[in-house]
Amino acid sequence: MASIAIDNPGSVVLLMGNEAIARGALEAGIGVAAAYPGSPTSEILPTLAGAAGERDIHVEWSANEKVATEVAAAASLAGIRSLAVMKQNGLNIAADFIVNLNMTGSGTGGMVIFVADDPGGMTSSNEQDSRAVAKWIDNPLLEAQDAQEAKDMLKWAYELSEAVMLPVFLRGVTRLCYTRGNVVLGELPVKNKKKAYFPDIWDMYNPTKSRFTAGPSAVAHRNLHEKLEKARAVFEESPFNRYSGPENPELLIIASGVCTSYSAEALEVLNIRKRVGLLKLGTVWPLPEKLVAKWLTAARKVLFVEETDPFVERSVMEFAASRLPEMDNPVFYGKRSGHLASYNEQSTDLVIAAVAEILGLPQQIRDPDYQRDAAEAMNLVPNRPINMCAGCPHRATFWAIKNAIALDGRNGFVCGDIGCYSMSFAAPGFYQSRTMQAMGSGAGVANGFGNLQQFGFAQPVLAVSGDSTFYHAVLPALVSGVYNKANFTLLILDNSATAMTGFQPHPGTGLLATGETAPVVNMEALCRSVGAEVSICDPFALGEATGTILEMMKQESGPRVIIMRHMCQLLKAKRKIPDKYHAWVDQEKCLGDSCGCDRLCTRIFGCPGLMWDSAAKKAVIDEAICVGCGLCADICPAGAIKKEEVN
Amino acid sequence: MSGTKRGSKNLLEDVIKAGLCTGCGACVTGCPYIVVREGRIVVLDRCTLEEGDCYRHCPRTRTDMNVVSGKVFGVPFSSAETGHALTIAMARSTDHLISKKAQDGGTVTTLLAFALDARMIEAVVCTKMDESKAPHGFVAHSRDELLQCAGSSYEAGFALEAFRKLPAGSADRVAAVGVGCQIEALAKMKAEAPVNGGNPDNIQLTVGLFCGWSLRSGYFRPILQGMGDPARIVKFDIPHSPHTSFDVYAEEGKSSVSLDEIRSAINPACQYCWDMTAEFSDISVGSAGSRFPGWNTIIVRTERGAELLARARDAGLIEIQELPEWRLAQLKTAALNRKRTAFKRLAEKSGDSQDLLYIFGLSEGFADSLLAG
Repeated sequence: MASIAIDNPGSVVLLMGNEAIARGALEAGIGVAAAYPGSPTSEILPTLAGAAGERDIHVEWSANEKVATEVAAAASLAGIRSLAVMKQNGLNIAADFIVNLNMTGSGTGGMVIFVADDPGGMTSSNEQDSRAVAKWIDNPLLEAQDAQEAKDMLKWAYELSEAVMLPVFLRGVTRLCYTRGNVVLGELPVKNKKKAYFPDIWDMYNPTKSRFTAGPSAVAHRNLHEKLEKARAVFEESPFNRYSGPENPELLIIASGVCTSYSAEALEVLNIRKRVGLLKLGTVWPLPEKLVAKWLTAARKVLFVEETDPFVERSVMEFAASRLPEMDNPVFYGKRSGHLASYNEQSTDLVIAAVAEILGLPQQIRDPDYQRDAAEAMNLVPNRPINMCAGCPHRATFWAIKNAIALDGRNGFVCGDIGCYSMSFAAPGFYQSRTMQAMGSGAGVANGFGNLQQFGFAQPVLAVSGDSTFYHAVLPALVSGVYNKANFTLLILDNSATAMTGFQPHPGTGLLATGETAPVVNMEALCRSVGAEVSICDPFALGEATGTILEMMKQESGPRVIIMRHMCQLLKAKRKIPDKYHAWVDQEKCLGDSCGCDRLCTRIFGCPGLMWDSAAKKAVIDEAICVGCGLCADICPAGAIKKEEVN
Repeated sequence: MSGTKRGSKNLLEDVIKAGLCTGCGACVTGCPYIVVREGRIVVLDRCTLEEGDCYRHCPRTRTDMNVVSGKVFGVPFSSAETGHALTIAMARSTDHLISKKAQDGGTVTTLLAFALDARMIEAVVCTKMDESKAPHGFVAHSRDELLQCAGSSYEAGFALEAFRKLPAGSADRVAAVGVGCQIEALAKMKAEAPVNGGNPDNIQLTVGLFCGWSLRSGYFRPILQGMGDPARIVKFDIPHSPHTSFDVYAEEGKSSVSLDEIRSAINPACQYCWDMTAEFSDISVGSAGSRFPGWNTIIVRTERGAELLARARDAGLIEIQELPEWRLAQLKTAALNRKRTAFKRLAEKSGDSQDLLYIFGLSEGFADSLLAG
């Protein structure tokens, strides 16, 4: 029995935010969940998949977030409640679908889109505040403070979605998704016995009875705004907006999401709960203006605490401006005033500093002993840069790429993409990736470089892509490249997993989210069928891999594909595929930091299993980290690293 | 000799980017970051060491001629046109199998095959052409393997990189064959032993080849491609008289291109080379000229070279004859002109008649007298 499907209402369990969201979806009686892995949301779908059999629901990894949203929408249109899950970047690509869905509305089955932002960009290529997307494309938006609230909001969100026939956004951030908290479980509904049926079929006697005959888009847009006003009215009474504090606070904090917790803690630490009020907004867009108006009148100073954009801040200020000149407004503090930053995470400390500044309070957050101890402790922690795992096939691939580009000698370069191999912009991948934007952008941008010959462009162009990334977004770029005869080489780094986000299966792995077997969408057959020449190499066969890249770089028209195929090392570990070699350094032979080596293995190659023995001034292998892949033995210039097969 | 510390970054700036690299392969020998690719030096990654063997042994970084000459010959740098010499003569092999494959007299192959057979050495670092007639460094261990290397390639072959193929820590005694820049590099290696490479005292014998210039692969290969299948070529030659054609002998016969066309492929770095006769070798060997087909001119410079020659002659493997006076005069004139041209070009490049870029330790007035002439 999947633990997330425990049928024990009222019991208290410790759940990660992501798990609580999955639980909330089950309690809301969803029938369909679709997603593409994206930190920090990746656990939600597998958690649901674990309960799929038992709860009789359909749970899938879609090829990308746009498809996932489309899948969820179909369920909604057929009367089944559905959930689509994505990180901030996923919302960007699903947006074109959602703006169009909004023209005619979702279905009788409620539809919720959970999107998580990553303030601080800890696991993202960019930093963005997706709440503005909801405002821009006109969807109701909720923001959860903690795991319990996320679970409770979901059920409520489905009711709202069905009331206004629109997808409802629930927004979280990394701290929500990954923080564990006590969650009181609710009831699980009777398993999904609702029959799926799409009612909007053609009625020959009533042909204009259709979603599409409401009128032109402008009319649909007007209708959309009317739906939002309905949502706003519901928001005015929502239990997810709460005030705590004095009737006439000196300072009012308006906070949303996890920032509510930071603000509450800050007020505790400063011991000013009797002076400062906290208005928590859970329904963030459209703004519940009547509720806000009441508190704008009661307070003389308002501080907005949110991540990352001044979204609520601007909405409230916009509303406040509309009240002029009849009502006068409090003084507003937040990002515009410079009290908090509009990038990176917020924290209790930052809120304390802002509040203390505004109220003129002394700002010592911690006692001096603690401050001193904390500063000293920082010296104990060595700087550790990002790195790929010991045995990672990407290290082998980028070693081959680096050498091939140097040997080719025509200033070639790599257009990078998203995955573990994104680290190739830095030391782990020898700084080889020179551009990096979105999923699939490597091949996309390579297309552009590959058609600049008439402007004298003569540099060989490489693009990299993961296996999951390939099915997600690279395919259209490859098709476009074949069609437009773009000159580039695409390397698909096939390590049999969506590794960066946690080894989720994808269309090439032969497994579904639920663990059942699936048809394999054959990568090389697919590339060949669109007209690209394909070579398949094991990156660990360095000589052959380098030679193949060199050969492909020399070609002058049309994209060609090299599939660098080797299983992810962590996946091997999970599947208990044993180490191939025992490797060790013969320190007698090791040249270390002298001429003829200059620490090639520890300074450049950089596998974490290799260490610099600073006493002996030689390399040494850390047996606890080394996985026995044997690659270091192949690159040691002195032949000092030995490997022997183990059985 | 080394003066200020200089490493691979300096090599890249001072030699390779400065257009002085002759393609000798010395820098490649001990370094994992410097490799040869299709006739070019490629630096694969950054070495952070302040100084290294690559810079020390490169024949186009600071070379103190007196120090090198002292190390190799025990005397200061010779002002003789063809360098320090014990004897200059003509020689050729008596072995017809060798003569057939040889460029001219087959002297180099014969002497080294004898040295291997007589267990004077275990290996020879030399140059071997592949199927497409592109030259690469090679380590020969037998007479048969040496025979595969007979015959001249006019492309820069980076032969010294073959030292890297010798087993680390090997005590094998080695001979090396190379043109002037390569012999100079080996001499610098003896003057300042490699930090981690082989022991230069293992190099028992160096055989120098007369050299005018070498060709850059990138420019030569397209010309060659236009002359048929390189796999069928058996010999390249530039006949001394009339000295206007570059001949290619293939299985089906001889074809030629004008020497002018070949000149477009000459490595520009060769214009800065002073050393026509490989002046730091134990014994230097070249063609005796078109008046003496099938003969070599040989310059014996050391006792070691003399001993090997004598033993080979006594074994009936080598014929030796006196070099006619007029031929010797021709050789000396050519060698001196070469030095003069090189010094002029170097002074032009540096912008200072006292600055010959990499050449140091010449006796007072030596360079000036050449520059004035």
